[in-house]
Amino acid sequence: MEIKITTPQLLKVLQLLSWIVFIGLCVEAGEIIVNAVITLTIHPPGVANFWKGAAYLSGLYSFDKGYFMVIVLIMSIVAVLKALMFYLIVKLFSERKLNISHPFNPELRKFILNLSCITLGISLFSHAGLKYATWLAKQGGSIPDLQALHFVGADIWLFMAIVLFVIVQIVKRGIELQTENDLTI
Amino acid sequence: MPIIVNLDVMMAKRKMSLNELSEKVDLTLSNLSILKTGKAKAVRFSTLEAICKVLDCQPGDILEFVSDKNENGSGI
Repeated sequence: MEIKITTPQLLKVLQLLSWIVFIGLCVEAGEIIVNAVITLTIHPPGVANFWKGAAYLSGLYSFDKGYFMVIVLIMSIVAVLKALMFYLIVKLFSERKLNISHPFNPELRKFILNLSCITLGISLFSHAGLKYATWLAKQGGSIPDLQALHFVGADIWLFMAIVLFVIVQIVKRGIELQTENDLTI
Repeated sequence: MPIIVNLDVMMAKRKMSLNELSEKVDLTLSNLSILKTGKAKAVRFSTLEAICKVLDCQPGDILEFVSDKNENGSGI
């Protein structure tokens, strides 16, 4: 028996996945920000409460508070940007701006443009974080695995940003063609 | 735009309303309105043919070319 997956069904699955990823990213961003604020202002031993374990950033915190703050700040920015990206995707699904009969519309262009800007931001901050963490490791700072800091993959984010910028240009031309088609009587 | 649509002039000459023309040509009111107000980017030959048939006129009676100079009033 052949199972056919229609576009609405696929979109439903993608919407569900987007929600799961969005919630996960919000939790991750919230965890980093809240733990960092608590550690830096209220309760310094709170550094042991990061999800990845007590040894995750404790070494860096005891090495230097300033370096710890910078690393946590970059981690927070990257996490917030990722959450923002999925917020835009979730918003697109929930506001039903995706019109299949008229796919090329200014909303879609704005959405992809915003996505590409956010992706570029993630790429730049990830790259900066990676460089900073590597430099810090050379200075003798206790840095956890770069994979655990979520800084790796800056080049892939950059690649994705460029691809999205190209798609924005294609959508822009598509909007022009569609407008012309709509105004042909 | 240098192409002027004189659909309203022809409709007035034939004493035909937009509703009536819309029914006879089988075009929606909004599309006919876009054509009448000159917002249209292009006209299909089939549409032009239907309009000419109903209004009993030539395409030249509906479409007119006015160069930009004359349109701005800066020409001779």
